[in-house]
Amino acid sequence: MTTPSAVANAYANLARLGDAAALTKGPGETSTGPSFGTLLKDTVASLSKTSRNTDAQAVAMANGKANIIDVVTAVAESEVAIDTLVSVRDRVIQSYEEIMKMPI
Amino acid sequence: MDFLKSIAIAASGLRAQAGRMRIISENIANADSTAPRPGSDPYRRKVPTFRSEVDRTLEARVVTLGRITTDQSEFRLKHEPGHPSADTNGNVKYPNVNALVEMTDLREAQRSYEANVNVITASRRMLQRTIEILKS
Repeated sequence: MTTPSAVANAYANLARLGDAAALTKGPGETSTGPSFGTLLKDTVASLSKTSRNTDAQAVAMANGKANIIDVVTAVAESEVAIDTLVSVRDRVIQSYEEIMKMPI
Repeated sequence: MDFLKSIAIAASGLRAQAGRMRIISENIANADSTAPRPGSDPYRRKVPTFRSEVDRTLEARVVTLGRITTDQSEFRLKHEPGHPSADTNGNVKYPNVNALVEMTDLREAQRSYEANVNVITASRRMLQRTIEILKS
């Protein structure tokens, strides 16, 4: 499971991206790092993979085929992944709003 | 990630203890199962064994239920001449299951299961507390 660490990396990259773009590059220059959109897309793709596994476990459980222990661990895994992604998203949007509110 | 790994390792403990409970219930349920014919053996007590195994994806040692062996101790003999599976002397062989021993094993399995559940709960709480840092 790499989703939470991927999200953490995304967050770290984003922070670095903001610093680098704002402080060292002049206007008109484009950043060479991955865009936040790409990072988000990758993370969501990885999250949907985890969720699919959880769904499969839940369905198997309903059919009486899966072990309750496997279901619980799968649900815990995707819960952590979703929580992390949602927190990062909220945080980024919050920062964006702060910037938009800045008086010019 | 380490927390998810510890959850997976604890889950292997849960699975092993669940398997042990299955064997204990089998022993208790068959505590009075006599032989189908005179002269043959009744139900023999089963003994679960645990094995430590390396999980390649987790890069850790997990526990699995090993080979299930049978208890080779003596059967209980009861003098019941009217019983259908009694031998020529009127003795009936009963399984070598001791209810007290099974109950002790059951408690042990229960406690071990709870310990593993506590590991899962603690790991999850630590993970969620870490994610909460992002929210504040």
